[in-house]
Amino acid sequence: MPAVSDRLSRWTPLIFACALVNFLLAQTLIVAGMTWPEMALTAGSTLVTVHLITLGWLTLLMFGALFQFVPVITTKPLLNQWLSLAVLILVEFGLAGMIVGFLALNHGASGLVYCLPFGGTLVLAGVLLAMGNIVTPLLHSRPLALPGRFVLAGLAFLLATILLGLTFALALSVPAFTPLVAPLLAGGVGYHVLAGLGGWFTLTAIGVSYKLLPMFMLAPEERGWWGECVLQLGISGFGLSVSAGLLSVWWPQAVLLNAVQYLGWLAIVVAVMAYLIDVLRLYRTRKRARIELHNRATFGAFLSLAAALVIAVILVVSHRLAAYAPALVLLVLFGWLSGLGLTQLYKIVPFLTWIMRYSHQLGRGAVPRVQDLVDEARTSPWFVIYFLGVALATLGAFINVAYVCRTGVTVSAGATLGLAFEYWRAWRGYYAGRARPVAPIPPPCLSRGGPAP
Amino acid sequence: MSTHALPSREYVLDALHEVIDPELGYNIVDIGLIYGLEVADNLIKVTLTMTTRGCPAQDYIMEGVKQRGLRIPGVQDVDIHLVWEPPWSPQKMTPVAKAYFHIEDDLP
Repeated sequence: MPAVSDRLSRWTPLIFACALVNFLLAQTLIVAGMTWPEMALTAGSTLVTVHLITLGWLTLLMFGALFQFVPVITTKPLLNQWLSLAVLILVEFGLAGMIVGFLALNHGASGLVYCLPFGGTLVLAGVLLAMGNIVTPLLHSRPLALPGRFVLAGLAFLLATILLGLTFALALSVPAFTPLVAPLLAGGVGYHVLAGLGGWFTLTAIGVSYKLLPMFMLAPEERGWWGECVLQLGISGFGLSVSAGLLSVWWPQAVLLNAVQYLGWLAIVVAVMAYLIDVLRLYRTRKRARIELHNRATFGAFLSLAAALVIAVILVVSHRLAAYAPALVLLVLFGWLSGLGLTQLYKIVPFLTWIMRYSHQLGRGAVPRVQDLVDEARTSPWFVIYFLGVALATLGAFINVAYVCRTGVTVSAGATLGLAFEYWRAWRGYYAGRARPVAPIPPPCLSRGGPAP
Repeated sequence: MSTHALPSREYVLDALHEVIDPELGYNIVDIGLIYGLEVADNLIKVTLTMTTRGCPAQDYIMEGVKQRGLRIPGVQDVDIHLVWEPPWSPQKMTPVAKAYFHIEDDLP
């Protein structure tokens, strides 16, 4: 048996570290007042921050997690471990190019504007490699379980999001191309956001959570027709609203397109509601009475998703979505997606650490448990502070008071830094030395008991 | 040729208490992952399962069982057979593990 099995994604820890750096960088830009809400939404620095969060943080985080968990979901290895490193390099360099391009847009540096489509192309290449690495084991798995189908759907939306983004990049930097897609540039950005936040991140996050929550809480994995409904409604909801929305950019008066778009919105609302109800059922039917911190803290992310859903419905019904969309996006990005990411990292990092540092000792002597690599009492306040910061930032964004929003992001940035420090400690085995021996060698034929509760 | 007498099944089972499921943080015997154990001709045959299909720690747990088995005097090889049927559930835990995880017995 290999010392490091093909179930371990070797580059995932590095990908997570780079993603966290990008997230902290984005938060620093907001705290420094260099982006929205102080600056315009279309300001280069705002676009830099948004893409640092969506590409640099969330997409890399999702790739790192999928490289590790798709082999778990499918029991098949990745296409190639080295592809994961290539993906990281392409996305990071592509993002750097995009950042230069965004800043050049605002400063009239026409020569550097070409960095935008060039960077976007590098990101597209990275995404295609990531898809190859992830889709290969998914397609070799028969029958493909529910989480895997969520991931496949999410990847399709990711490709659509990246292609849309690349179209915008070309329109902004190549004058000859601009008139061809002028309507898209004027009215299509919202659908680029919806495809990314909804179709890519949310569907994939739902799929991964359908595997991780039951696994870590000892709850029933089988979601039956309910989970199937969440999947089908989610795909059709985001699919219809994005495609009808994009078409309506060219034919704004088409009543049918508006109707289809509303149908899509309705499907999204039902899908997310059904998912949240299913999450509650998962928590209620769990066998593990005392759940670990990451599963307790994840509740903040689910609350954020529920709040975003309610607010989105109110805004759509009252025709005020356009005015408050940035605040809603902030809640989804920081509360739901980043909240879920940060809480799950608190389990994934020590798990990977255990595999890389301690697994070879199993059967040869006492080893620490995964739980021994973290200090929950020390870390739990950071999660509370993080979600309080997100709530404050969201409030500031909705009431349009920039300094309240910035203060909230400052609080959540501090908490992110605290959490990053705890991940680092887990990775370095800082707490492992304090752990009591877990698997004491029992005298043969005597006690059959485990460690004391 | 080994000079050690063959260990008893109970001895081997006790030894396997040293192998833990790292995520649950408890030994695999009391969790109920060991479905079968035979000791014959300096060989241990272990039939085991995992708490979930594609468990990330699967290979390491199997390697841990093998390494612990080989450390038992008289054992020359450990044959591990991974099965998924019947599926593992928390009800397969021993009473002591159920008490540790606060898991109640299913009603008949």
